[in-house]
Amino acid sequence: MAANVSIIGRTTRIRGRVTGDVDLEVQGFVDGEIAVGGDVTIDAQGMVGASVRGRRVVVHGAVKGDLLGEEAVVLEDGARVVGDVRAPRVAIAPGALVRGFVETGEGAGAPAKTARALQPAARPIAAPVRVAPPAAQAHAAPPAPPAKPAERVAQAAPAHATGGNNVPAAPGPRRPPPPVIPALKKAKGQIAKKKER
Amino acid sequence: MASTVIGAGITVEGEITTDEDVVVAGTVRGKLTAKESVTIEHGATVEADIAGASLIVAGSLTGNVTASERVDLQSGARVIGNVKAARVTIADGAQFKGNVDMDI
Repeated sequence: MAANVSIIGRTTRIRGRVTGDVDLEVQGFVDGEIAVGGDVTIDAQGMVGASVRGRRVVVHGAVKGDLLGEEAVVLEDGARVVGDVRAPRVAIAPGALVRGFVETGEGAGAPAKTARALQPAARPIAAPVRVAPPAAQAHAAPPAPPAKPAERVAQAAPAHATGGNNVPAAPGPRRPPPPVIPALKKAKGQIAKKKER
Repeated sequence: MASTVIGAGITVEGEITTDEDVVVAGTVRGKLTAKESVTIEHGATVEADIAGASLIVAGSLTGNVTASERVDLQSGARVIGNVKAARVTIADGAQFKGNVDMDI
């Protein structure tokens, strides 16, 4: 009768694996892996010292290990998680603390093979981000120089903006930089004077 | 009532320590230490040494038992191991193989 729901009670401490096909509620301390086919609920008092895997993982307490939900992972207010979180759907409520990698979407929960699942997903995400800026720069290359000169202009005199554009085209005769920094000019002048003297 | 329930379909491999009642309807392998009563329900499989105040067994148990109060082996229980307790009852229909030490 009471066996329908499995509960790790408040003063209960388990060192070892907990596996099964049904729901599990953790109010106490489990220092070991949890892997069940049903839902896992970790109460506010509950603590788990290793990875947790379930259909739907709801955390109110503390977990030091990876969380893996076949359907969802829900981190409620007061949850403290140090580890990676993976599930098709991940919810992190205000007040929940997480330190780790979070991955949502299809394929995030089911494969479950931790590091390998992480890396292929992480690379595609990182790659487009890196690809995009060069492409943007490439397309914007001809009109882009104004952007950089604009910064220089902001620091220096606006009149030399055109000179900034000319720098790559006509390197030699006109050098706007000297007027840009008066201090250097004075220094050069002083040095020159000293040399002259 | 029972604060810790290892339900049917759950397997615990390792050591369980608790101050509360424990009901096992699933599978436990390792060691089980409780300060209150331990109940092993019909259909449960326990391969563990058990320590507790009292123990009620209706399922399958392999391991040594130490109880500070009593041990009751109910009908349908299957127990292999030594039992040490102040009071021990074995119901008709319970299977048991092991020593009984009633602290005489």
